[in-house]
Amino acid sequence: MSGNGGAGGPLGGTAVLPGTTEVGPVHDDRRPGARRRTRPGGGPADRRPRRGRAALVPYAFISPALLLLAMFGLLPILVAAGVSLTDLDIGGLGNPETVRFIGLDNYERLFSDPGFWKALQTTAFFVVVGVPVIIAVSLAVAVALNTSESRFFRALRAFYFLPAITAIVAIALIWGYLYNSQFGLLNHLLDQVGLGPVGWLSDPTSARFSVALVAVWRATGLNIIIFLAALQSVPKEYHEAAALDGAGRWTTFWRVTFPLLRFALFFVTVTTLIGWLQFFDEPYVLTKGGPVGATTSISLFIFENGFSLNQFGYASAGSIVLLILIAVVTAVQLRMRGSDD
Amino acid sequence: MSKARTTRRIGVVAVVATFALTGCGGQSPEADAAGDDTETAPLTVWVMGDSGANLEAAVEPFTAETGIAVDVEAIPWDNVNDRLTTAVASGEGPDVTQIGLSHLASFLEGGALEDLTDYVPDHPNLDPANFPSAVAAENLNPEGGLYSVPWVSDTRVLFYRSDILAEAGIDGPPATWDELRTAATTLAARGDGQYGYYIPQWDAPLPVTYTWQSGGDVIAKDGTIELDTPAFREAVDHYLGFYEDASVPTAGDFDQTAGFISGSAPLLVSGPYLAAAIAEQAPDLEGKWGVTTVPSNDSATSLFAGSNLGIWRGTENMDAALQLLDFLTEADTQVAWYDATGELPAVTAAFDDAALADDPLAVVYAEQLQDSRPLPISTAWDEANKAVLESLNAIALTGADKEQTLTALFATIEEINAR
Repeated sequence: MSGNGGAGGPLGGTAVLPGTTEVGPVHDDRRPGARRRTRPGGGPADRRPRRGRAALVPYAFISPALLLLAMFGLLPILVAAGVSLTDLDIGGLGNPETVRFIGLDNYERLFSDPGFWKALQTTAFFVVVGVPVIIAVSLAVAVALNTSESRFFRALRAFYFLPAITAIVAIALIWGYLYNSQFGLLNHLLDQVGLGPVGWLSDPTSARFSVALVAVWRATGLNIIIFLAALQSVPKEYHEAAALDGAGRWTTFWRVTFPLLRFALFFVTVTTLIGWLQFFDEPYVLTKGGPVGATTSISLFIFENGFSLNQFGYASAGSIVLLILIAVVTAVQLRMRGSDD
Repeated sequence: MSKARTTRRIGVVAVVATFALTGCGGQSPEADAAGDDTETAPLTVWVMGDSGANLEAAVEPFTAETGIAVDVEAIPWDNVNDRLTTAVASGEGPDVTQIGLSHLASFLEGGALEDLTDYVPDHPNLDPANFPSAVAAENLNPEGGLYSVPWVSDTRVLFYRSDILAEAGIDGPPATWDELRTAATTLAARGDGQYGYYIPQWDAPLPVTYTWQSGGDVIAKDGTIELDTPAFREAVDHYLGFYEDASVPTAGDFDQTAGFISGSAPLLVSGPYLAAAIAEQAPDLEGKWGVTTVPSNDSATSLFAGSNLGIWRGTENMDAALQLLDFLTEADTQVAWYDATGELPAVTAAFDDAALADDPLAVVYAEQLQDSRPLPISTAWDEANKAVLESLNAIALTGADKEQTLTALFATIEEINAR
């Protein structure tokens, strides 16, 4: 899981852009008085004659990106919002004239659906467990990998990145075999050391952890690369200065290196959090949301209602609620970062 | 990257919906420029699962005889619903499609299929009288009409390991619910990791067949879903009883084929595909296992599963499509299909063929098919069925309070009925 990828879709796009600040005029008015007030080459003297065309040039440059964003990001969201106010189902797809506008009924039904609340709780569990673990593990591995430039360590980097580029279906197959309670390797190993079998994917409590473990394993690769890049951009002089001042390795890391990783940390936190909020792949391929719904995240709940029960209106309402949830959580993070800038 | 993919999935709802709302969803029977030579236009056929190559081989005689080329597209079972919704929204479907009975309600509700009633006189093979009464037209077409014809049938029978039963001092496979409960408990006492019976946690039809076996039904006379009945409660008690006796595995990923072959689950209810899997994976087990009709309570009714064939609404190849349906529902073709794939015929007459009549397994399947029913064909039922299964598993596996859970389930059913 954890989508740090560039092709992050509409949510990824809107979530990450404000943090990078260099995107364009769209975000200018977010922080009045911030550094982007001056326009390149635009002194007051020559401003007027160039206004007509020159003012439009930047927009022309970003218009392809904006157009794509609008078509594949904004439009689907708007349509989903529209659909969420209707009772669209498979019958409605075949005969559009039978689709009824039902106002907020879908949302009312959603908030009184115990399945939705359970999915929300499950997602919260995944976020609370998954985000800190991914950040801690990725950072620790990145720091370890950063200690040497030898061939062995470079090979290790590739090794850690492998899960991130492995097809999810292959992952599901392999982990499914590892976890299987009848003939799985893990239970076989436990048996060898005289321990009883564990219902890795069949016990509701352990299934959550098992599924989360696969997701952590899969997400760390990319985050390690991000942390590694950030670590390598820390100027050597700082470390030398710290060494001259007599700082030990531990102190150097926490006092010098770690603060300089702040942006990478922020980026990883935001994208990881969004990834967990949209947690889908691992439970979908490993447990289909089971046992007894223990691993049904909000995304899976939406998917089941939309694509196995064909209740598109209801599923759209769920996806809009998820969108708002993600937007709020991300906005809170941005605000928190804004205050310590 | 889950974010991208999930977003895409959610986006698909929206995109699919766009088509519907902007009215592109309607069928487009516009005159094709090449519409005149429908004789030579290839028929596109959707076939589900891994039957693609088999169907290509099966229609060779048809193409040779009629000159109609057939384009087979195999669709994995997991993708059927996606393909259906996309096709319904865009109006771009195949000419002929296989329809798993569990998907039939969605196909009907989406208006994806052509009513074949008027074509039956000219194509006698499509006559509902050729098929078992369980899949009679009125059972499969709740709104009337004839939108599909049975193609292959499938049912659930009791598989038993005669060697293990004999060892445990049980003579013969259990014939009643009580005998099954007792036998399962005896067999589970063989030791750790040994069970007597197996309940697939994903098997939605199971509680329904138990209700039928108790003389009840899940659909009331007025067509609404009705579960608060003595028969359903009896079914629930039977289902949960195995868990109370600890005679079934609680692991959701228990593999029934492996379990039956190793002997850890020597009794279980499954379909003909299990027989094929055993014969392939454990040929040395030959003679140590058998199948028989499911244990009875008031009756020994089992599930009628299988697939139908339908013609896509608005197809431009109606004539050729009908000919293909006619060919595929011919008794000889059905027997040949059974030989090639092991899938049981839907046409009653095909069971008289020696290939089936002399196969001891097929004889049991045929007998069970006589007393089998399909699940209710309704999308509301699909949702209700999911709730039933979740409730029962919650009681059995997480120790949820039975009465509370059932009360909540009945309330959910009321809600679904009211929608």
